[in-house]
Amino acid sequence: MLLIFDDANLMVTRHSPAALAATHLITLGFTSMVMCGALLQLLPVLSGIVLPHPIRTARLIHIPLTLGAAGIAGAFLWNLPWLMYLSMACLAVSFGAFLLTLAISLWKSSIRGPSLFAMRLSLVALAVTVGFGLLLGMARHIPMSVSYQTFADLHPLWGLYGWTTLLIMGLAYQLVPMFQLTRNYPALITKYLVGALLMCIAIRTLVAWIPSPAEDGLARLVDVILALGATLFAIITLRLQWQRKRKVSDTTMNFWQVAMVALLLAGIIGFLLQIRGYTYSETLRLALGILALMGFAVTVINGTLYKIVPFLTWFHLQSAYPRLSVVPNVREIQSGFHAHYQMVLHLVALTILVMSCWIPSLSRFAGILWAINALWLELNMMRAARIFITVQRVARTLRPD
Amino acid sequence: MISGEVFLDVRELEPPEPLERVLEALCNLGPGQRIRMAIQRDPLLLYPILTRDGYAYETRCTETGDYEILIWSLKD
Repeated sequence: MLLIFDDANLMVTRHSPAALAATHLITLGFTSMVMCGALLQLLPVLSGIVLPHPIRTARLIHIPLTLGAAGIAGAFLWNLPWLMYLSMACLAVSFGAFLLTLAISLWKSSIRGPSLFAMRLSLVALAVTVGFGLLLGMARHIPMSVSYQTFADLHPLWGLYGWTTLLIMGLAYQLVPMFQLTRNYPALITKYLVGALLMCIAIRTLVAWIPSPAEDGLARLVDVILALGATLFAIITLRLQWQRKRKVSDTTMNFWQVAMVALLLAGIIGFLLQIRGYTYSETLRLALGILALMGFAVTVINGTLYKIVPFLTWFHLQSAYPRLSVVPNVREIQSGFHAHYQMVLHLVALTILVMSCWIPSLSRFAGILWAINALWLELNMMRAARIFITVQRVARTLRPD
Repeated sequence: MISGEVFLDVRELEPPEPLERVLEALCNLGPGQRIRMAIQRDPLLLYPILTRDGYAYETRCTETGDYEILIWSLKD
């Protein structure tokens, strides 16, 4: 909607109020919201970890995150400092509760493995992202030794690369072989990639923080390694999907394939930005951000929702009402989604949005497509929720206890 | 008295079909029968369901890296 009504400002620079509002609505209101919820749900599946008071904990995370995401977007759009502080307080409560719950559960667990290791590191990255975000929000009240622009560059690096990409990598090590029936990722990758990339992000932060004559060269080297890491992960995932055992078409896998191509392109732009003539290209930086956030993160999450939401709907229903025939199976829940057509629309919307970095007149059209796309996904998720409520109601009449 | 064993090979199935199949097999399990299930991953979600519904199980990791789970009713 912001693209439709404020396209002139949004596509000019990453730092316009409209661009910041849109980015935070997506990163807080969609990607982080789903990732937090998915982690709370997936931990018992992937690791057998049982979280304490799951429903109460989920509410404590979900409600302030929703308020914070909406509030921060409003604060950017209408330049309202009081709303910014209120939203920051909400986000601090939400992420604080999330980090504390996950940290206690993950660190107490004796189960080891590359996915859990990646989850731990991505939580560290989330903590740093939130910290930098709070500092940026308080910038006008706190004297800072590092420039505002440095924090403004490091905050998305930790958020988009550290928290989002590293978590998706770690989950992919389990989810891609499990759901897409591929071979496992190479042991060398699962063992070292996420750790090495987080270390690079940390070095990149120190380089920006501590002035040194070698700063520029070292920063470029680390940026090249980060681009290489993303490219490598995308190529390996695409190769595993290409060589999978059962060649059955699957919408979630198609979403993942689109996401990996977007990540690959983002990696290539990451390399290009290290070449002197392109370094300060705001268009390339905008395209990199769109490919990484909308092309990679949002696409992976959209595709994965089509797997986990029907699964969780079925799983919770059959757990509550075992052996009742009214509980539909996963395929029955998925059947009305028409997810493949939504995937095609998503791909078209993404392509137009990326093109609008070079042809700004396309941005309003891209906005319309994204709004329809998001609405379609929303309706499908609501459909699953409706099935859950309806079956629960019928099951209660059949078995009143 | 064990009167037979139902073998369930769900290694090539995409989740959650393995879970759906084993729950279906449990519904049709006769007295004294056991289920021997071959699966690619350790089905962590299945165990609490088995315990809740009164089944016992034994899990073994095979040489190929797959898992074999033997399930029987505690009433037998």
